[in-house]
Amino acid sequence: MKRLSLSTGLVAAAMALSAAPLLAAPFTCPTRGGDLVFGQEANVNSLDQMTSSTISTRNIAMNIYETLVTRDENNKPIPELAESMQEAPDGMAYTFKLRQGITFHNGKVLTSADVAASFDRYKRIGLQRSTLDNVAGWETPDAQTFIIRMSRVQPTFIEALSSFSVPIVIIPAEHKDDERQQLRPVGTGPFRLMEFVPGSHAKLGRFDGYKPNTAYEQRTGFGGYRVACLDTVTFRIVTEASARVAGLETGALQVVEDVPTRSLEGLRRNNAITILPLQNWWIQIALPNTALAPTDNLAFRRAVQAAMNVEDIMDAATDNNYRLNVGFQYPNQPSYTDAGKETYNINNQQRARALLRESGYRNEPIVILTNRDYPPMYNSALVMEQQLKAVGINASLRVVDWPTSVQMSQRVNSTEWHFFHSGWGTQPALGALATMQFLVSPGANYRPKDDKDDPDVLAAWNDMNNLRDPAARQQAFARMQRLVLERAYAYPFGALTKVQASRANVKGFTPFRIPRFSNVWIER
Amino acid sequence: MILLTLRRLLSAIPVLFIVSLISFGLMRLIPGDPAAAIAGIAATPAQIEQLRRDLGLDEPLLTQLLHYYQGLLQGDFGKSLLLGKGVLAATMERLPVTIGLSLYALVLTLLIGVASGIIAALRQNTWVDQLAMMIAMLGISIPGFFLGLLMIIFFAVQLGWLPSGGYVPFAQDPIGWLRSTTMPAISLALLQAGLLARITRSGMLEVLRQDYVRTARAKGLPERQVILKHALANALIPIVTVVGIIISLLLSGAVVTEALFSLPGMGQLLTQAVLSRDYPMVQGGLLLVTTFLVVVNILVDILYALIDPRVRYE
Repeated sequence: MKRLSLSTGLVAAAMALSAAPLLAAPFTCPTRGGDLVFGQEANVNSLDQMTSSTISTRNIAMNIYETLVTRDENNKPIPELAESMQEAPDGMAYTFKLRQGITFHNGKVLTSADVAASFDRYKRIGLQRSTLDNVAGWETPDAQTFIIRMSRVQPTFIEALSSFSVPIVIIPAEHKDDERQQLRPVGTGPFRLMEFVPGSHAKLGRFDGYKPNTAYEQRTGFGGYRVACLDTVTFRIVTEASARVAGLETGALQVVEDVPTRSLEGLRRNNAITILPLQNWWIQIALPNTALAPTDNLAFRRAVQAAMNVEDIMDAATDNNYRLNVGFQYPNQPSYTDAGKETYNINNQQRARALLRESGYRNEPIVILTNRDYPPMYNSALVMEQQLKAVGINASLRVVDWPTSVQMSQRVNSTEWHFFHSGWGTQPALGALATMQFLVSPGANYRPKDDKDDPDVLAAWNDMNNLRDPAARQQAFARMQRLVLERAYAYPFGALTKVQASRANVKGFTPFRIPRFSNVWIER
Repeated sequence: MILLTLRRLLSAIPVLFIVSLISFGLMRLIPGDPAAAIAGIAATPAQIEQLRRDLGLDEPLLTQLLHYYQGLLQGDFGKSLLLGKGVLAATMERLPVTIGLSLYALVLTLLIGVASGIIAALRQNTWVDQLAMMIAMLGISIPGFFLGLLMIIFFAVQLGWLPSGGYVPFAQDPIGWLRSTTMPAISLALLQAGLLARITRSGMLEVLRQDYVRTARAKGLPERQVILKHALANALIPIVTVVGIIISLLLSGAVVTEALFSLPGMGQLLTQAVLSRDYPMVQGGLLLVTTFLVVVNILVDILYALIDPRVRYE
């Protein structure tokens, strides 16, 4: 067995870094102490990360729990509780050595038995337990070693394992039988849970027994050298945007998420407040129902593609907080490709009309399915409707709430809608592999008839998953993106920016996918 | 009196049965996938499907109904899909917040509403009457949500007197509780106080024209005694009726107020449950809130009997 980079190839640098001697001094807190109150927009129902896919759960729980491997600032997999990882030459086993002297919040020392128990629980009730589909089992030859045995080679396994969507958080072995959403909140993270009042707040306190990962000098992504500078962090649920802004202005809240555009001007004038745009929050997208006429017709779907002015759609959807973006990844990601860019933002009504004639469209009603729960989705649908009408498509909106629109959009061979508006957030942030699963069965988002994939798209997807060479997998992704865009199976409009804001004396808070409170301090 | 109470308690049983049936049926009639709602926007179709299976949402409707009533007969209101805990436990966590807020708002409603109604009636057709009724009309007309926002901007952001949101339990810090619930209680109370002021005024005007009030005055009783003992006691019947209704309005109004002021009460819990299609939570929560309202109405009925002897003799 030889030492390898993490199997995706994306992590070679990270693993090398873990073994490299440190040259610079690690991070130290400029000041320590204080309570930081974070105004969170959505309710938290449970802190059980194994069984919840909601962002609000992650916001809090990712400060409490840790995983074997996580993602760095550039979204590359890096070790977290693992000190090193070796992949077997045949790709059929992964051996993790755990970092020494890690303790849980209850004082117990972490061993491989806890890791095995965490995997046991995840396999039993984890929401994304398909991550372990190709895993035959796991072993704990000694207290510091954890081996995962594969049933078949999966070159993307570490990428999946390091996903923060529904991560396999490491818990004490004695909690492995905790029921769904009832996991006792004991992890190894820099903060421990002090109080959780659902609907009101969760209060975390610094875990004095936390051992930073000395393979790094600074925090990176969700891992790296993490230190809790703050005494406590309180996540206060403030669902009303105006109340969040008021709380920030009064100083009752030190950091808030999702600041409405209407409040930005006033906040910018306030020297005590720092505006923190979080770019690439999600990809604004519309998806066709290809099981139903006329959206089963490629010429018609291309006519729609040609008719759209994406800048107008994004402007309305985001109150001008957006960036134009081709495809399903962002330019700052290593997996980004502009394959299929000629299909983007065509805005050519003449071409759209010609394609409509080619498709044989006869003024059939076209239903655009959207919701009001997420205003960007409603607004983008509204503009799309007008743009389609402008080229002679008899389009109208069907507005329901989010759960209903998801239910309708997921029905096989549905006759209720032609285009469905959505926003892809977490998955594009996780990478190409996580994103493109939306476009394959079961539940391929372009809703092919009988949920049967386009064979070319499926072949590209299989290559993305199974090719051993990372460069070849990246090419497969580019091929898949091109196919999806050229066959108009999705209309990704662009990247939405979400705005966060903090009091000016909060330092070290860098906008990220999930707010991070290690290496954050309050300046006095 | 005991017979009256028993009669009222017995009549509550069919009410609760019908409410339980309606809440069960209505939730199933509303389209929308609980798994999609609970999994959140970040979930993939595969995660949603997994959650649907984990939550057992694929059982036939009749089986679900049978399980529901079997549970109810054993005092089990079910388990929230969203929270993963018992409906009764979740309700008991949140109900004190809403009841505390509603009671505070009720006290304010009674103080403002009854007092301004009496003063307006005593000063009928003067500027005092017109001012009181104008304020009452304003209270009825301004949406609680808007009033709440104005108060946040003025009292929290501009003056910094009160917190803009959040909740402090009474047992933990009574002053903190008072500070965290004063603005929500006022925004809830003003609407109802306007209504109560108008009803008190018309009730008082009606009573003040009665012969027994004239007699009391003719006997030379002090005006305070005439108003409080003779007039107000008789004007109380419609006021008590309205107070029963006001309690239910305060509870329903708390839905918006709790969201605005970030109070972890029943309003927020049920709103989230409805939006997430958390069937057991909505069913159980509605049943428990209905039970509370039924009890309030029974108390109002008993109060009638205490105030008005004619009710006891019926």
